[in-house]
Amino acid sequence: MEHSAIVSKGKGKKNVFLVLWLALIALILVGIIIMLPPGEKHESIQTVMKDSVLHEHNKMAFFGLVVNPGIISAYMVTAILLVGAALIRIFAIPRFKTVPGKFQSVIEMLVDFFSGMARSNSHHEPHFVGAYIFSAGVYIFFSTIFELFGVQWITTAGHSMSLPAPISDINAAIAMGVMSYVVILGGGIVFGGVKGALGVLKDFSLPISMSFRLFGALLSGLLVTELVYYSISLSFALPIVVAVLFTLLHAAIQAYVLTTLVSIFYGEAVEPKPKKEKTKKAKKAKEI
Amino acid sequence: MPLNIDFLQILLHMLNFVILAGGLTFLLFKPVNRFLEQRREQFVQTEKKNLEDAEKNEQLRVQYEQKLRDADTEIAEKKKSAEKECADVSAQYIKEAREKAARIILKAENEAEERKGHILQSAQAEIGELVVSATQKLLSDTANPERDSALYDEFIRLAGDSAARERANNDKK
Repeated sequence: MEHSAIVSKGKGKKNVFLVLWLALIALILVGIIIMLPPGEKHESIQTVMKDSVLHEHNKMAFFGLVVNPGIISAYMVTAILLVGAALIRIFAIPRFKTVPGKFQSVIEMLVDFFSGMARSNSHHEPHFVGAYIFSAGVYIFFSTIFELFGVQWITTAGHSMSLPAPISDINAAIAMGVMSYVVILGGGIVFGGVKGALGVLKDFSLPISMSFRLFGALLSGLLVTELVYYSISLSFALPIVVAVLFTLLHAAIQAYVLTTLVSIFYGEAVEPKPKKEKTKKAKKAKEI
Repeated sequence: MPLNIDFLQILLHMLNFVILAGGLTFLLFKPVNRFLEQRREQFVQTEKKNLEDAEKNEQLRVQYEQKLRDADTEIAEKKKSAEKECADVSAQYIKEAREKAARIILKAENEAEERKGHILQSAQAEIGELVVSATQKLLSDTANPERDSALYDEFIRLAGDSAARERANNDKK
């Protein structure tokens, strides 16, 4: 007993020493990194931020077309999501149980969240809009998170750059806004006829507001992240925290905002219009 | 175009999203939604069945309570009739026992009276025999013809009186 107690005491001392030694080395390394002169910057902050907004300089090749990096990001995200969905469809969904496990709960919660949103905002026809907002929500969330992985791609100029979030490209935001408006308009025409279509056309500013809300929100996060990346030479501690926080926040908020707006407007568009009561004049005319 | 807006790229984004939306809908949204609907339907059915069972159980409980009440009433009635029957039987037994006792007493009295008569008769015979034997003893000791005849007379008188009384008693009876 005494011998084992002595041995364990000795081991404890060794561990403390090891931790202290590693902590000291880490501290010195951090000091060295902080004291290093900042890396050489090829572009000014103005250029970096302008390029983040407009993507005028860094272009990429896509099946023979010269496109913004957002296109590459978008198709990559789509490919990843479709592969993931196919794997879930093949391997997970057939094994779903009445009492769900953790993974099944996450998938069910995700689908039920958007499905419930569609049901609550559009009682009459929730199926199509449910599928649409599910896809839009998943796309916006995962494509925004995508920029965190810093996937490298070669520009047409031959530089390597990390792929941005697709929606930080204004074309992607416009595409989402316009498609959402088309979905709402389509719902209005199919379920409300001409009256429904006119009701939706009245909100002609909807695609613009949707597009720019999405683009602006994503862009603001991107600009802050770019600014932090540019200003701080220690580019793997604070920027990571800032980028992760901003990105996750924007991903969740924008997915929620766009899907909520679409489901509400769609619900209004497909809602059966109450028949107007006949006016007094019409009643009198009928009596006569 | 201002802000680097490019219609071709917008269309490329739209194509990308249409592909994604179709894929996600058919691979994930519809199957999971179908599963959720089936499970919801299953829960609704189970709940409906539970409600029906509960209703059936309630009906059974009411029936059971009614049966219990009926059984209590029946038990009370049966108890009452059994008590009445018991009282009748016991009264009958008591009556029969009293009659039997009266008969036994009467019989016993008759027997006692008869036995008394027999005892008296046998006692008289014994007394007579005793008197005769005593007289014989006396006579053998002191033989005297005068006293003998006097004794005979006296005996005859006494015996005659007692026989006459007995006959009179028998006649009375």
